[in-house]
Amino acid sequence: MTARPPRPGEALPVGTRVRVRRGPPEFHCRTPTYLRGAVGEIAAVVGYYRDPSRLALHKPGLPMRLLYRVRFRQIDIWPAYEGPPADSLFADLYGHWLDPLTGDANGNA
Amino acid sequence: MQDRRVNDVGGLPAGPIDREEHATTLFEKRVDALVMLLTSPEVGAFKVDALRRAIEQNTAEDYRRFGYYDKWIRAIRDLLIEQEILTAEEIDARIADIRKRRAKARP
Amino acid sequence: MATHSEHHHDHHHGHDHGPADPHAPIDDGETVRYEHLLEAAIRELLEEKGILTSADIHRQIDAQDSRTPALGAKVVAKAWVDPAFKAKLLASPLQTIADTFGVPMNTPLELVVLENTPQVHNVVVCTLCSCYPRMLLGIPPAWYKSTEYRSRVVVEPRKVLAEFGTVLPDDVEIRVSDSTADLRYLVLPMRPAGTEGMTEAELADLVTRDSMIGTALPRAPR
Repeated sequence: MTARPPRPGEALPVGTRVRVRRGPPEFHCRTPTYLRGAVGEIAAVVGYYRDPSRLALHKPGLPMRLLYRVRFRQIDIWPAYEGPPADSLFADLYGHWLDPLTGDANGNA
Repeated sequence: MQDRRVNDVGGLPAGPIDREEHATTLFEKRVDALVMLLTSPEVGAFKVDALRRAIEQNTAEDYRRFGYYDKWIRAIRDLLIEQEILTAEEIDARIADIRKRRAKARP
Repeated sequence: MATHSEHHHDHHHGHDHGPADPHAPIDDGETVRYEHLLEAAIRELLEEKGILTSADIHRQIDAQDSRTPALGAKVVAKAWVDPAFKAKLLASPLQTIADTFGVPMNTPLELVVLENTPQVHNVVVCTLCSCYPRMLLGIPPAWYKSTEYRSRVVVEPRKVLAEFGTVLPDDVEIRVSDSTADLRYLVLPMRPAGTEGMTEAELADLVTRDSMIGTALPRAPR
């Protein structure tokens, strides 16, 4: 159960293109390495949760983090993906691991 | 190439999937029950996130060679000690005690 | 079916322990696994300190045992025959299941139902650990928790499905869901052809655990 829904303007709108941040490996990071640097789009806004990497260290995990369901085309994740281009992958990712893109995929306006 | 945590296996090369079915043993059910009870709001010894983190702290070799439920019970031990609910000494002493009891119980 | 033996005669010699190590197997002609002793020791100590009772543990084991793929199959079969139920299920899965089947769903987690269509086939994984809709389907199978499944299904889902005997045409989108957070996913498979007039119970018999994970399709009617 999420703690509260996002207030207006807090969440990235559904359809926003996002790039998953690269970052150092943390213990109990819930952003898999295979998705780092991949470009996808927000499929759903799930809601606020306590930060799992902080809960993992017995901290209260505040402030809460906004969780999104993000959709990727498999061909945008794996350079040599062998299936058809319509195949997709969804992952549940926290907003602080996502950079919204404007303009083209390289972030150019 | 970024370093990964041992559990972060998505996309790594791997062999065939062993699809053999295994009935859950009593040991496995007990370990599972301990996880659920210790992470429940009523007991609140630690969060399941902490248990997962403890498992992620295994070396790559230990992560592969220890069975699934073995990793969980070892993580429970680590977390109970970390949270100062039990000590390593009393756990070890109790294990030694149980060994003696079981040895005596055998004909 | 649980085996009720505490003496697990398992020759796991993966540990490099010296003779003074409290973790060493006892030398009485029998090998007792360290982890089994560890579980018993922890359980006894926690009970003595009033943190848990043996009744708590039995109750928890019984509650988890009552969650099985058969329960999930009933949910799927009802969704196939009852459009109003299906709509409620998709909107509010745990509440709908609890209300309809009288099975308490006491979990802080959310269940999401992924509906298969002629255009989209869903398959679920947890690459980072073993997250699974246990509140409904029970304990996941060993293969679901394996590093092989978790590594491969995200990058080569069609090959993995083919290993399970499931082949889908290229014009069907395969959609992999990686349960990386607090959502748990249940695949709602498509109702097989030739099942008109079957009862809910007969339909439930066709719904396999693997069809609710997405590595298989439901059984065809005889």
